[in-house]
Amino acid sequence: MNRGSLTEMLHCTDMTVLERQRARLKSQQQDQFHHQQPEVEERSGYFSELSGVFSGPSHVSQVPGFDGAAAGNSMIGPVKADPGSENGWSEMGKILVPGFGFPGFEANFSISRTASCTPLAAAAATTTAEVKDKISGAAAAGKVSFKKRKHDKIQNTKVVVEDEIKDKRLKGCAEEGDSKITDQNNNNNNNNKENSDNNSKENSKVSDVQKPDYIHVRARRGQATDSHSLAERVRREKISERMKYLQDLVPGCNKITGKAGMLDEIINYVQSLQRQVEFLSMKLAAVNPRLDFNIDNFFAKEVFPACPPANFPTIGMSSEMNTNPAYLQHQFNPLQQQIVSCSGNEMVINPPDMGLRRTISAPVSIPETFLDSSCFTQLQHLLPSSTTWDADLQNFYSLPFDQDRSTTFPSHQLFTGSIEASNLKTEM
Amino acid sequence: MSMNNPKQRLLLSGNPRGGSSSCIKSRFTRGFLRALIKMKKQNYNQPTSSSSSSSSRREAFRRYRRVKIAADKSMAVAAGSKRLWSRAMLSRIRHHQQQTWRYHRSTFNHQPIKVKRLVVEKKKKKKKKKKKKEEERTGDHHHHRPRGLRDAGELRKLVPGGEGMDICSLLDETAHYIKCLVTQVQVMKSIDQFYSIN
Repeated sequence: MNRGSLTEMLHCTDMTVLERQRARLKSQQQDQFHHQQPEVEERSGYFSELSGVFSGPSHVSQVPGFDGAAAGNSMIGPVKADPGSENGWSEMGKILVPGFGFPGFEANFSISRTASCTPLAAAAATTTAEVKDKISGAAAAGKVSFKKRKHDKIQNTKVVVEDEIKDKRLKGCAEEGDSKITDQNNNNNNNNKENSDNNSKENSKVSDVQKPDYIHVRARRGQATDSHSLAERVRREKISERMKYLQDLVPGCNKITGKAGMLDEIINYVQSLQRQVEFLSMKLAAVNPRLDFNIDNFFAKEVFPACPPANFPTIGMSSEMNTNPAYLQHQFNPLQQQIVSCSGNEMVINPPDMGLRRTISAPVSIPETFLDSSCFTQLQHLLPSSTTWDADLQNFYSLPFDQDRSTTFPSHQLFTGSIEASNLKTEM
Repeated sequence: MSMNNPKQRLLLSGNPRGGSSSCIKSRFTRGFLRALIKMKKQNYNQPTSSSSSSSSRREAFRRYRRVKIAADKSMAVAAGSKRLWSRAMLSRIRHHQQQTWRYHRSTFNHQPIKVKRLVVEKKKKKKKKKKKKEEERTGDHHHHRPRGLRDAGELRKLVPGGEGMDICSLLDETAHYIKCLVTQVQVMKSIDQFYSIN
């Protein structure tokens, strides 16, 4: 293996090499391949790795008669069987690339092991040559398909371990002798070894074995592959994911770059939120007793609107839970009767709070709550998908009013119960 | 009718397609309001006849503590026991309540109070000194060392139960905690609004 070409390849990007290869191989004859075997083999190896990058396992599975890469000729069977039309070509290209990727792999390995031409490698080379002749035959369509694949590759930013292994191997080739390198590669890179073993022994299972590698282990060029650094990389990826998520949560965090700054921002945000909670709880604590003592003022201020008659059926719906016949009878009767019946109902249910409600005029508070609940049940009917949320709001809004009058906590509980029941009904 | 406007506005502004956050929101509101009602009932049962300013201040502080604990507890309950921070918060509240209960029980006998108070004061002083020293140390170190994610110490202190987490779960918990805090603040603000309107 001449070092010049190897270093040249190192400098080239993947796709340019691919295209150059294609261009050269088009022009070259088969017998030329036999003479220039090492070069071709290198290229085929390179190509194979690229194809390994490209080829998803699904493409491999498309090939029905794909038994082994050693039998590179068998590859040509399905290729020939395919229609030569342009539509079929893209598919064929997909099939082809993994197909002669694997013999390439093997050729590469056999050569690097023996550092001499083997008949197997020669066969592989010839098959690749044949295949490439076909490519040149359907040049236009083939280019289209290759471009497509190139695009795929660009999109697929996660370059697979294979890619990086190839780098290592090539670097090793440039630095040291051939035979040593293969040994080293076999010792160092478990993945590589796995791949090589699979390639040489059972190529049909390669796709299955490679699949987890694609998913779990990702490494760019020049990144380390030992388990520690891989784990570290995974951890860092996780952290950056979470940081991104946090970035979305925390306002004003989008502008900041750098994790330390983001962390500071997050800390500030959490602190401010906690302080807000403290402040609000302080406020609520200050408000609570005042409400207890200033009930009468609230009642004096209170102006409650007239109840629209359209709401009454919904009220009936929501408060069926009460199962109060008197109430059901008076559903469509004037307001006052309702109030009386309801207050009676509540008083029956909650005797301990009787005294409280006597001191504060119950009839005033109850229609209010009714209005609220009715409004919300209507809204709820309009928005049937948001039952829990509405229930929340209902709870929430019916409650403060009750609290403001500070009269009917039990009534609130009663109504929330009824509202929940109605929710259940609507859900059903 | 004027009462209905803010409600409708809130209805529209909120996310009607209840996700997990809205679920947490509803649970939190329910729990918190229940706790508030309970508190108020207790206030009724024990009407405070405090005239002096210091006692009233203490009363206010006590009330504030109770509201705060109620808010925290209801939020932790709403978040569920799957989250580390909610579990830590609940355990902290429980611990605190036990301590306060012990303290209240000890107030019945007059003798041990003084001793305990003295002890507490001593401890506090020590703690303060230690804290100051630590602050000085960290302040010195702060300029020299580069700040990375490795020492997210402040965040650990802020998120309940954050001391024992690894960085990944800490960030996870922080995200959830922030969400919950935001909902808590929203709900408490709207409750406060309704108090202040009337």
